[in-house]
Amino acid sequence: MRMTRKEFLKTVGIGLPALLCAGGGLCFGQSRGEDIRGEIFRKDAPAKPWKWSVEGFYYTSDGKNVQCQVCPNLCLLEPGDRSVCRSKVNIDGKLYSLAYGNPCSVHVDPIEKKPLHHFYPGTSVFSIATTGCNLRCLNCQNWEISQKKPEEVQSSELFPRDVVRESLRRESPSIAFTYSEAITYYEYMVDTARLGREAGLKNVLVSNGYINREPLLELCKVLDGANINLKSFDDRLYRALNGGTLQPVLNTLKILHEQGVWLEITTLVVPTYVEDPEMIKRMCGWILKELGPDYPLHLLRFSPQYRLTRLPPTPVATLEQLREVALGEGLRYVYLGNVPGHQGCHTTCPHCRRLLVERNGYLLKQVHLNKGHCKFCNHVIPGRWSQA
Amino acid sequence: MKRHLKVFILWAIIGTGVSSIAVQLATVREFLSQFHGNEITISLVLFSWLLLTGLGSLIAKVFRRSSVTAFTLLSGLLAFWPLPQLILIRYFRESVFVHGASPGFNQVFFYILATIAPYCLLLGFILPYSLRVLNERGENFTSGGLYVTDSIGDITGGILFSFVLVYSFTAFVTIAVTSGLLILVVLLLFLVFRRFVLFFFALVCTGLFCLFSLNSHFEKLTLSPQYGEILRYVESPYGRIVISKEGTQHTFWESGTPFYSDADIVNSEEKIHYALSQLEEVRSVLLVSGGLGETLLEVSKYAPASVDYVELDPNLTRVAQELGLIAQSPSLSIIHDDGRHYIKTCSKKYDAIVVDLPEPDTFQLNRFFTSEFFSLAKKALQKDGILSFSVDCSPNYLSEIQRSKLSVLYNTAKQHFRNVLILPGEKAYFLCRDGELWTDVPARLALKSVMTSYLEGFYHGNVTQERIEGLQKKLDPKAPANTDFEPKIMSALFQEWFTKHGSSPKVFALVTLGLTILYLIFLRREEYVLFTTGLANMGVEMLIIFTFQVMYGCIYLKLGAIVTAFLMGLLPGAMFGNLFKGRGLIPFIVSEIILFSLLVVFYVWISFSEGDISQYYFLGYGFAFSFFCGYQFPLAVGLIGEKESPAAGCLAADFTGAAVGTLATGAILIPLLGIQMAMIFLILVKISSNIIVLFPRGRTAS
Repeated sequence: MRMTRKEFLKTVGIGLPALLCAGGGLCFGQSRGEDIRGEIFRKDAPAKPWKWSVEGFYYTSDGKNVQCQVCPNLCLLEPGDRSVCRSKVNIDGKLYSLAYGNPCSVHVDPIEKKPLHHFYPGTSVFSIATTGCNLRCLNCQNWEISQKKPEEVQSSELFPRDVVRESLRRESPSIAFTYSEAITYYEYMVDTARLGREAGLKNVLVSNGYINREPLLELCKVLDGANINLKSFDDRLYRALNGGTLQPVLNTLKILHEQGVWLEITTLVVPTYVEDPEMIKRMCGWILKELGPDYPLHLLRFSPQYRLTRLPPTPVATLEQLREVALGEGLRYVYLGNVPGHQGCHTTCPHCRRLLVERNGYLLKQVHLNKGHCKFCNHVIPGRWSQA
Repeated sequence: MKRHLKVFILWAIIGTGVSSIAVQLATVREFLSQFHGNEITISLVLFSWLLLTGLGSLIAKVFRRSSVTAFTLLSGLLAFWPLPQLILIRYFRESVFVHGASPGFNQVFFYILATIAPYCLLLGFILPYSLRVLNERGENFTSGGLYVTDSIGDITGGILFSFVLVYSFTAFVTIAVTSGLLILVVLLLFLVFRRFVLFFFALVCTGLFCLFSLNSHFEKLTLSPQYGEILRYVESPYGRIVISKEGTQHTFWESGTPFYSDADIVNSEEKIHYALSQLEEVRSVLLVSGGLGETLLEVSKYAPASVDYVELDPNLTRVAQELGLIAQSPSLSIIHDDGRHYIKTCSKKYDAIVVDLPEPDTFQLNRFFTSEFFSLAKKALQKDGILSFSVDCSPNYLSEIQRSKLSVLYNTAKQHFRNVLILPGEKAYFLCRDGELWTDVPARLALKSVMTSYLEGFYHGNVTQERIEGLQKKLDPKAPANTDFEPKIMSALFQEWFTKHGSSPKVFALVTLGLTILYLIFLRREEYVLFTTGLANMGVEMLIIFTFQVMYGCIYLKLGAIVTAFLMGLLPGAMFGNLFKGRGLIPFIVSEIILFSLLVVFYVWISFSEGDISQYYFLGYGFAFSFFCGYQFPLAVGLIGEKESPAAGCLAADFTGAAVGTLATGAILIPLLGIQMAMIFLILVKISSNIIVLFPRGRTAS
């Protein structure tokens, strides 16, 4: 029985899209595996700035198009476009941040949670975040705010002055810009930090370090401490797992060091990706050479999160091995995180090897420091310590 | 021997049926291990399978001539291809997607389509093509006969897989065993038709096929890219269990997701101590899953007189015990049963019931987070006993979806317990009790002199009073309760899954709907009826399995019996339909009315019956419904007329309807609207086909 034209068309009409979709899907999947960098959201900006907006501090404009200069993404936005980080928009040839005074996360945390072990230990830190992130990490713990637009979440209203007031009211000596990615609410962070400094508060940045030089230098004027997430020491991994590149983060670390901001580095040891001892060795070698041996390195145990859910947690033995590698390279303070009860979370004096700070989670069980010196041998322990 | 062509081809059809059912089930299980094992993935796999098979049937129409050699070659390809297909699914998973990452809806769908397309298209093609081969050689064979023969193969394959192979054999061996008949027929066909070169080629392929499929080491090798160093690998009726080793660390994987690793102190301490610290005395504890490793050590700190650990899959506990990951103790009893079924039937009362299960994004898991389950759990608790369970929750921000999820669960629990407390730890831990609940867990632990590694130092920094109160304030008091038949929480979890991957099913839904409408426009009246019957058949099967699980638990053997009952109904139905073929429209109309009536009966059952329905009713109902579905097929063919070559169109309609029914029922209707609305949808669909049959165009109703 011959097929009629109608039947043939019907068959093709159903079959062809299915097969094309299949092929397209494979190509799509193939390309996504190499670089997961975010993209600009075309024509996604609101018609006008809303209440929680401010004009961007760092951008260029030709009168119509704008280019944000805050981070290495250097988003080039046509009118109506939204940046990769989702927080910046081009409205009528001006760059606006939509994340100003509208934090979606507001908590008081122990400073050790950031983690910062050599920065006023035992104190609390008033922690805020708006939405947005300039990376696309597959294992983001805070994806529900980092991968969202400001309009998509419930927020509080806390303009910079309000943040400082709240921090003082809650008796937190520090303000932390954290959770999502603070660089994406740069303007809010800088204005708040300035007021915080005036009020005698310390300012802490918890960040992926993906920021350009100029805005970072400006930020450093009001920054006291930072925890920078050095996700790996491999540019290929940065592109495949995080959607960024390595060099800008290394530049950030150097600038923070040069500007005298207290710095601690965090590396999440992702199994099958960031557990290569040779890579950690190279990373520590770079840290030693460029930053010196005194900045703490936190090696954290990975657990499945967000889209990276089909990997096992990092073996503790791997963390211990990498800690030995880091100490062997000459770093003096290497901590293990997300391993409760492990002796790798204590601080020992690199000179006399005595226990200086014994930690039980966020609690300090023993502290043998005297104004930033080892109580036993008087060796200087780098960090920011209270005067007590 | 050429006179026996018909016999060979019939055996090839049976062999195809045997093999294809097993391959389908093995493929579904494979995708569940590769991707997120929720109802959407299951529905996507079945949808894609049925759609592509239907498309393959349509393509058969294009071919004007047939050849026995071509048929044999294609049958051979059908027999051997499942093994490379499975290997390629595993291989490409690691190269197309980021290792360790869970892809989103679109990526999963396209990947499934691409990898199973060759097999399914071929499968759909070969059935009507076989009919053409026979009829062009003077063998009088009808489409109804084809349907019957295929059903014999399907039933055999279904029984073999569900009652034999799945218990002891891996995917590769299953494919090898079930392809055996088809391979044999192919070899004989080549031999009989003196295609010696092809015969020897097929023989070599057979040798290679056996070499690789029966080699357990090779099979393990194909899994290594996903899991790393594999210590143990077991395929059980409930899923794939893999134990991998990372240095000295053991990780247990269930269907591709790691659910336990050594040194998981945080999870163990939180799930045990949040609950047990609330009690004055802990005499008896029930763990519903999650009893590996540190968990039992944490429980032992309270020195209970008895600890009952219920785990569905005996393979899991057996392997865990062999590896020393279950701390043996005289007070410990390991019970292999469905957790809910155990709680329902046990007479013992517990001080604490700790449920440690994955997110309730399947019907099977949702049953442990419903009002009905909480009611059962309450009855199994001592006065002032405590029930504890947990769901995922972000530590720093409560999204609208999570708010909905937690609110639904909170309100559901509140229906049965005077006090419900949510502690926002690494997960959101629900504590449900009529007695008092305390938020200062470390203080309670100190009172009891219970030492912990995590809670003592981290609790007050992570689970602050502010966070506890903040979360409580955000709960929605108007959120509906989660019930067995209205799984509200699944809807929230599906939304969360889509949001996580930045994807939306809207485009897919619109395209599917559009293509379905386009397809329906071109259908004959009789084919439309088969489309709706296929839709209703799959929909009813999913509903029956779902309802059975709710009432009786995940008892695999009995679930396999239900699936088999459905398969077995098709064959005698088709044979019975063959007897009435050619007798006009009346038998067709009668079948439509019966199917419609059966749907109404099921709706009334689940809506108004109190208490459980006898298990035998499920089997009987499945058989009866399927009987009349099978009965319709040869009638439809008869109405169209054999000369119009209806097999391709009818099979396509049946498959496509089944595909739509799977997706609509499993992924949309039940999660979003509940089981009753799903039934109403099926009834309405059947009404539409009733109308078409009773009031055809150009005929006045009398």
